Order: sequence, then structure tokens, then C-alpha cells
Amino acid sequence: MTSFQSTLGDEPGIAEELAESQQSISIAEFFEKNKHMLGFDSGARGLVTAVKEAVDNALDAAEESGILPDIYVEIQEVGDYYRLIVEDNGPGLTKESLPKVFGKLLYGSRFHAREQSRGQQGIGISAAVLYAQLTSGKPAKITSRTQGSEEAEYFELIVDTDTNEPEISVEETTTWDRPHGTRIELEMEANMRARQQLHDYIKHTAVVNPHARLELREPQEHFKFERATDQLPEETEEIRPHPHGVELGTVMKMLTATDSQTVSGFVQEEFTRVGKKTADSIIDAFRDRYYGREMRWRPPATHEAVDLHAAVEDATANKGAEATAAFAAAIADGVADHDRIAHHELLETVESAAEAVEDEHGTTFGDTVRENAVEAVWLELIDAEADAETDESDGAEGDSDSRLVADLSDLADEATSTRKDDEIIHAFADRLAAKFDAELESDEEDGGNVRHRLTRTDLREHVDRVADLTEEYDDVSFGETARGNVTDAIWDVMATVPDDPPLVRELDGDRDATSDLVDAMRATDIMAPPTRCLAPISEDLITAGLKKEFDADFYASATRDAGVSGGDPFIVEAGIAYGGELPAEGTGDVMRFANRVPLVYQRGACATTDVVKSIGWRNYGLDQPGGSGLPNGPVVIMIHVASTNVPFTSESKDAVANVPEIEDEIELAIREAARDLKSYLNKRRSMQQRRKKQNVLGKILPEMATKVAEVTGRDEPDIDDAIARIMNNVLVERDVTENGDGQAVSVVVENNSSTNESLEITDIVSAEPTALSDGATVVEMDGEWFVKWEPEVGSDDEAALEYEVPADATFDLDIKGVESEKLTVNQ
Amino acid sequence: MSADDTQQAREQLIDLAAQFYDQFELGEIPHMSVPTRTKNNIEYDEEMDVWVYGDRESTRSANSVRGARKLLKAVYTIEFLADQLEADRSSTLRELYYLSESWDNDEAQFNDQDESNSMVEDLEIVSGVTREDFHMRPEESGATLMGPLHLREQTRRGEREIHCQEDVGEGGYQIPNNPDTIEFLDCDADFILAVETGGMRDRLVENGFDEEYNALIVHLKGQPARATRRITKRLHDELGLPVTVFTDGDPWSYRIYGSVAYGSIKSAHLSEYLATPEADFIGIQPADIVEYELPTDPLSDSDINALESELEDPRFQTEYWEEQIELQLDLGKKSEQQSLASHGLDFVTETYLPERLDEMGVL
Repeated sequence: MTSFQSTLGDEPGIAEELAESQQSISIAEFFEKNKHMLGFDSGARGLVTAVKEAVDNALDAAEESGILPDIYVEIQEVGDYYRLIVEDNGPGLTKESLPKVFGKLLYGSRFHAREQSRGQQGIGISAAVLYAQLTSGKPAKITSRTQGSEEAEYFELIVDTDTNEPEISVEETTTWDRPHGTRIELEMEANMRARQQLHDYIKHTAVVNPHARLELREPQEHFKFERATDQLPEETEEIRPHPHGVELGTVMKMLTATDSQTVSGFVQEEFTRVGKKTADSIIDAFRDRYYGREMRWRPPATHEAVDLHAAVEDATANKGAEATAAFAAAIADGVADHDRIAHHELLETVESAAEAVEDEHGTTFGDTVRENAVEAVWLELIDAEADAETDESDGAEGDSDSRLVADLSDLADEATSTRKDDEIIHAFADRLAAKFDAELESDEEDGGNVRHRLTRTDLREHVDRVADLTEEYDDVSFGETARGNVTDAIWDVMATVPDDPPLVRELDGDRDATSDLVDAMRATDIMAPPTRCLAPISEDLITAGLKKEFDADFYASATRDAGVSGGDPFIVEAGIAYGGELPAEGTGDVMRFANRVPLVYQRGACATTDVVKSIGWRNYGLDQPGGSGLPNGPVVIMIHVASTNVPFTSESKDAVANVPEIEDEIELAIREAARDLKSYLNKRRSMQQRRKKQNVLGKILPEMATKVAEVTGRDEPDIDDAIARIMNNVLVERDVTENGDGQAVSVVVENNSSTNESLEITDIVSAEPTALSDGATVVEMDGEWFVKWEPEVGSDDEAALEYEVPADATFDLDIKGVESEKLTVNQ
Repeated sequence: MSADDTQQAREQLIDLAAQFYDQFELGEIPHMSVPTRTKNNIEYDEEMDVWVYGDRESTRSANSVRGARKLLKAVYTIEFLADQLEADRSSTLRELYYLSESWDNDEAQFNDQDESNSMVEDLEIVSGVTREDFHMRPEESGATLMGPLHLREQTRRGEREIHCQEDVGEGGYQIPNNPDTIEFLDCDADFILAVETGGMRDRLVENGFDEEYNALIVHLKGQPARATRRITKRLHDELGLPVTVFTDGDPWSYRIYGSVAYGSIKSAHLSEYLATPEADFIGIQPADIVEYELPTDPLSDSDINALESELEDPRFQTEYWEEQIELQLDLGKKSEQQSLASHGLDFVTETYLPERLDEMGVL
């Protein structure tokens, strides 16, 4: 390498020469050469993309100002070119911002906002202007009028690709019949080969924007899509990022930018859903990762030959016998009060003991004395040989294991399966205790890691090493699960240290520490992000939108709860239309939407399509050749992904990227709607079977009755009751009896089904009925009396409507509320 | 059969139709219940000493398309049978099946003969009238009888008096479809020997066994027809003749004995009228296979299954049968009647039957 470099160096001026030809490129220039990245790869597609960008902007603008969108799109043939005109009734643009919106790429209000909107980058419409000027050489003609202004502004402009700034050629005021709104006129080289996609785009936009009125006039056809609702989508709010979805790099950038001093302040200020309590949890988790936890050991039990009292007394000099004894006693008691005690807890115990004794005895216990006491007691607790002297004095009784072995042995025994025998556990604990002892000699500043402070990773390393040794020497298996369990058991008894977390400025630039913080944020339970930044369409409006554009028999929709991906909340919605006028041949249609924008290209690359294909549609009653892929039949499946930042596969925003969290939610949403479809199809199928059964029985039973009558020599029997009963039907029967001058009418409802039935019965009578039974009402209309009665009849129950009419009256029954397959009317 | 009986059978059929009529009129779903005709639903009737149907019933109801079709066919069949009785004609079960093709209603036609046969059985059970009284016969005529019996038969061509040894050829007397038209005049027989196979029957006749031992040899022809069982029953009941059954030594032959003695599952409703519970089994017993060193065939899987299912058949739950069946399962062998010929053609008449009948106390 060195020789090569020197060769380069030998030729003077090459690097300089190269450097001369290197220059920065304007973004406009870049996209000029990479039109396909924005969806302008061909004339056919360019036109659709331009319509899409203009309409998306128009919808966003109108909605933001609370105006029900009214958008007019026109495409004209002008010689070799096409002219695209898009008009909206939005709030209009000010004279100052207008040129930039249309004439500068990456200019927009959206890029930095965590809020759901159609546009995100501020590229789309200016890219359309750029495309138009490149292909036709003509400037964009823009008219805009803001609410209340007398006149409209009129601009003709192009994008200066060298500087990425608008270049205005005409600027004047004009009159316009719209009170407010924007109109853009672009002329471009294009063709109508993508007519289908254009129609799809407009139609699908109408489906997911039932509050918008859309009109499309192109050389051959003219569509109008009226509103299905006057309800605007809920206004969205901007939110801060969610701790679960940010990446390390982002957090490092945020740390540099924040005004907060402390980590606690930082997480509360810069993230959503983080309050004091959550911040504390994050910081605890951060401490565990950054500092590690301290091991807490059991205080000595009475039978143990550990004399803390003596240890303190030995370590305390010149404080008077009485005070020293009180000090020692206070410490010993303090330690005994703990179930387990960590180094920093011992520190606290000694501090409070010192203070208590100071108050009582008036003797000062200085820092040195306190430190000595802490050290003496701690070394006793961890059974460490501080120096030769203690070694000898303890040596007499401490014949075998240190205290740590017994402690760890119990923990390990609890954590591992009963199959491991005590000796193995003991040997394991012995080796692990040795690891803790070895920490004393580790390379930390003075005296090693005397506090037994370990991160989980350190602990796991020790456990792994010790387990490996145990496997090697004791010839038993010490598997992954056992290692994990032992680590967990020990980690659980260890204590989070009280050390203050580093300040923000200390963290800033410290990659490892920041990574600990990011891990800590991910490990902490935090409420899902607020969804007020999202505007889902809602189940009702999805159904309304589908009904508006598809004449089907059945509609279902589902809106999921919000999820989080990459710190951005998202909501997935799905809708299904089935049957009716939808084409029964071939595969079903999939309509994809992101933030209410239809996606019409790159269907195969989209996560939504992948999910639809992966679902077993046969389970939901649809035909699916081979058991995978798109279902066949008269079905339209619609999927809407709403997010503050929809992950697209490219800048042209044609396909949703395969993000697992989003794919899962898409699947759940579709399945939810599909379950409704399934029960509809099942019901329809059972109705079909019922109809079939009714058809066959309707033939057989009368024949049987005729035959029976023939054989027995009687008149034909009445079989309606029997048939109603067989079909589990609701039987409505009229019975009329002579009653003096008039007739008494009774309409009996007999419910033979297994469910309760609510009927709406209207009996149209040609003369005025009297003596009506309870629950029935009568209305006269043009000489006819409408007797209305809405009984609820339980399973195997019956109800009757009764009234009287003159003898010559005629009747006509009309029954609703029961499927016709289930109804037998006998009047 | 008298005209009265015919009239009564006809009325019972029409009552059945009237029952459906009434069900329609009452707004009920037309239905008809018949006992389930399976092994699990036959029980021992202690009073009659025969096996009859238990309480389990299956309902043919117009509730389902299948049930409705069945009832429609039932009504058409009732009409046909009633007309047949009125005209004093008769027909075979197979004729009924073909005749249904001529019915004006496609839905009422039978799909196969099993369906029409079981329809006739249903009607028999529900109306309490036997098939013979409906004037329905099976395809094959009854089996034959040979022995010292003098009888009078009512035929369509007048009365005939026949002696079943002297007035018949080697083939013997043909048992008519309805043996109740026979009147017994005189009988010199000491016992009835019912034989499964034609070959063995011919051997016995050739060897003059009927004459030598005063035996009435009844040819069962495999599973005995109703007429064969009915005449056996009448000979036993009216003339007090002991009944013995001589078959092959395999599970299917034990069932032949079973239906002579206890009645068959398909016609358990008529057991009282067809079964002769006092009938005794001669053999071939599994024990004979050992004792007489008979040539054997190994038991096939289906033989073993049949034996095992006989162990659960309520008709075979006696000490004798359990012992024999278990012995056979141990042996794993079966033998035919004709295997006795391995000891010579006269062995069966000179040694085997006399020894067995003596053991059983018949001789």
C-alpha cells in the first residue's frame, strides 16, 4: 500500500486535477437525471404521477384548513403535448411561498413533522413542474387566491436546476371565479397509455376520501365522484418520537441538539409518552447497563462464625470503647436488617450508624473511620482475606468454603432443574464464587472491583465460563437454559446502583454510553404513542367509501389499534367488498393506500400484497388456487396504512416496505375483516342450502300429500304448517272468520326457528280496521289502511295480530325483518 | 291364506298412510319410527326364548331431504302393495324394484334393490304384517325337504297331497314361499337334520340316511330363507320333532345355525315366528377338527374378525359357543362338511353323524 501511495504522490497535480472536476450537485439537477426515482420514468406514468402529486397536495391543503375538498382534474390534448390542470378549493398560497412550493425541490412543511399527511418530502409537485419544463420546455402556470383577497395571484415559473430555486417569468394579479384555492397548469410530453391507472387512482382516492368531491375530465371520459360524508378526517397533531422506535444515530443527534442537562430531562422533553416515572424506569435500566448492578450478599446468620461486631471494633481506633461498641452494634444490626446487602447499601447503613452514634455519644466519626468500617464489614461479608493477619485469625475456623459459595449454591440450586445433584451445584457455586473473588484483583482503579459491580453481560460471561468448566471437569451438561436461569436468578438479587447517570453533555459523543441508553429505552415498558397524529379513515367510512364505488353484496371493514414502528405510530385498516356487480371471474382486486393516497404502481413489491397473498383465503370461504396467492372471485380487498412516516420502498412512493411490525398489523386487519366475510359467506351458503332444501321438499311433500290422500281416499291435507316447521321457518298465517256483519281477522306469527325473530308486518286493508290488538298501529293513506305491527317472537313461540273489518274488505300482507328463505306466508 | 287376512294386511297398510295424513293435518312433520336393525339393538326375549329388537329406533322424518324422499317412496310402496293385495296378485322383491321405474314420480323411484328391500322390511315392522302377507316373495324359491312326511299344500291350482319321500324325486319336496299354506298329515320322522350345503345333502340322500334313521333332511342352501326357517319352526312346534343343524366348521356357518335357532338381525321382528331356539348344533365343531383329524384350511383375517365379532354377538353368548369359538381361534383352522370324506364316503353317515347324534341324545 505504501508504495502505491507514494506512486500517486509522485505524479503531482492528479489529485488536484481530480478535485477540480468534483463539485456539489443541486438536488434539482440530481432528480433531473433520476426522474424514475420520483415516478416520472415514462410519459404514461409521468402524467399519472403528476396528477397524483397535485391531487395529494390539494387534499392536504384543503383538509388542513378544515375545508371539504373539491378537486377538479382536467387533461387536454395540445398538439404533441398534454396539458394537465388541477384546481382545488384549498386555502390558497401566499405570494411569497407559492413560487417555492412549486419551484423548489425539498421545500415543504412536512418533512420534519411526525404527523400523518399525504406528502412527506416536499418533492412531489415541484418534481412535476420540473418534469413538465424538461419535456415541453414550458413553465408551470399557477393561479392562487387566498380566502378574502380581492384578486388572485398568477405566476409562470420553472425550477432552476442549477440552484434548485424557482425562476419566475410572469408574476401578475388576475381575477378568478373561485373564492379561494389553487390552480396549476402543466404542459408535458405524455400519453394516455396509463389511462387505467389514472382512473384507478382517482376512483381509489374517492374510496378513501369519502369527504372529498372529485372530478376528472380527460380526452375520452368524464367522471364525477360525489361526497359520501361531510365529515372531515380528524385533525392530526404533531408528536415527538417514541422511545421504542428511535435508532442510535438519531439519539446521538438529539443529544447534541437538546437543551436538557440531565438524561431524565432529555427523555422527558424529547420523546413522547415519557413522564417522570417512565424516565426513572429508563434511567434505572440505563444504570444497569452503564454501571452494572452490585451483588447483594446475605448478611451472616447467627450460626455463622462471622463477627461483624469485632470487625468494626478492630477497624475503629481512638473513639472510646463505649462509642465504638455502639457504632459496631449499630452497623451489625443494620446489616442484619437486610435480607441481602449490596456495597452501596452497606455504605448507607454505616453512614446512618455513624450519624446515630455521633448524636448519642458526641464522638465524631469521620470519613476515614466510616470508610474503614465499610471496608472491614464488606470484606467480612464477602469472606475476603484482606491481609495476612485476618487470614490467620479466620483461618482457624474458616476451614472450608467461603460464604459466597453457600449463597451462590442456594441461588443456583433454585434456578436449575432438580436433576442436577447437590455436588455439581456446589462445585459450580465454588467456581462462580472464585470469579467474584477474582473481581477484587480486576483492573479497576484501586483495589479492584471490590463492590462486586457487574453488568448483565459480565455476569453472563462469568456464568458461561464457570458452566464450561463445570461441564469439563464434572462431566455434566450445563445447557443454555440452565445458564440463563442462573444468570437471571443472580441478576434479580443484584441491586441497581444509586450513582447519578452521566449528564447529557457527557453522553454527547459517547457512542457506547448512548447505545446503553437506547437499549434501556427499548427495554422499558412505555405506553404506545398517541394516535392523535394519525387520521384513520374509520370502519364506517371505509364501508361507506367502498359502497360508494363498488356495487357489492357485502362490505366489511376493520381499523386496528395503533402500533409503533421506528418511533412512528401507525394504524392499519382493511376493508373487503364481496359479490354483487364485482367481476366473478379472475383474481380479486387489491387496493392499497398509504396515508389516504392510492398506490397504483409496483403492486408486486408491496408489503400489503405480500400479506394478502400469504393469507389462506380458503379458510375465509374464498377460492384460492393452490392455497396461496391472491384469492379468486368477486372480491375487492382494501388496505390502508396510516403513519407519521410510511416506510416506502422508494421515493416514488409506490409500495410499502416489508416492515415486520406493519406486516403483522396488516395481516390482523385483513383477517378481522375477512372473519366478517366468512360469516357472511357461511350464512349465504346455509341460506342457499335452505333454498335448495326448500325447493326439493317443496316438490316432494305436496306429492306425498297427494299420494297419501289418494291411498286413504280423503281430501288433500294442508301441509303449510308442516313445511314451515320442517324449514325452521317463520310462518305468518291469516285466519279470517265471519263475525256478524264483518269479519274478524287474525294474523298469527309462528316462529319455528331456533332464534328470536323481530318482524315488521304491514297489512294493507281496503277498509278501516277496528278493535285492533295491542302493539299495532294504523295509518290511512289514499283510502287504504296500513296496519303496522312489529312483534318480537321468541323461538318456538307465536304472536297474533287481531282486528275487525267489514265483510267486503281485502288484505295484503307485507313482511320485513326475516330473510325470505325463512319466511312462509299463508294469507 | 284367506281373503280376510289379505283384507287385514291391506287395512294395516292404509292405516299407515292415514297416519302420515294425520301428521300433515296436525301441522306435524310426517315421520315413521322403526327399530334400528343392528347387532347392538337386539335383545333376548326371555318369554319367547328368541332374540328380538331392543328399544333403539331410527326415525324416518320429512325433516330432511333424504327423509322426505324415503317417506315419499314409502307412500308409493304402500299404494302398490295395497293395489296388489286388492287384485290378489303377488310379486318378487326384485319386481318391486323394477316396477318403481314405472311410477310417475322420479323422486319415488328406488335407486337400487337394497333400498326397496329395506323399505319392505320397514313396512313389515311398522305395520306388523309379514312380507308374505303383502304377497312379496324373494327371488329364489325355498329350499328342499326329504323324509318321511305326508302333507297337503294349497296351491293356486288346487290342493296337492304329497309324501316327501315317496312322491318326490331325488331333489326332494320344494318348500313353497309361504309354508303356512301347508297342512301336515302324517309324519314318521324322528328328527330334523338341517344341512348347509347341497353336496352334503345329496350325500346323505344317496346314502339313504333319511330312511335309515327316519330323518327329515332340510336343505338350508346357505343362509336359510324365511320359508325354510318357518317350516322348520312349524315341524318342531306342531310335530314335536327335535331340530339339528349340520354345517361347515367356520364362523359364517355358525351364523347359519344362529339364524335357525335365534333369528337373524334383519328379521328380528319376526323371530317369534321364524326361530327355533331348541335347535341343536351338530357340527362341524372346532373340537371335531381335532377329534376326527379333519383336513383344514387356515383361518383368514376376515374369519378371525367374524369369530371375534361373534364373541360379542348376544346370540352366541353361551358357555358352549364361547368355548368352541375360543378353541377355533386357538387352532387357527376351519373345516368343511365335505372334509369328512377324507375318511371315506360313508364315514359321515356311518360314523360321524351317529356318534354326534348319540352324544346329543337325539338317537
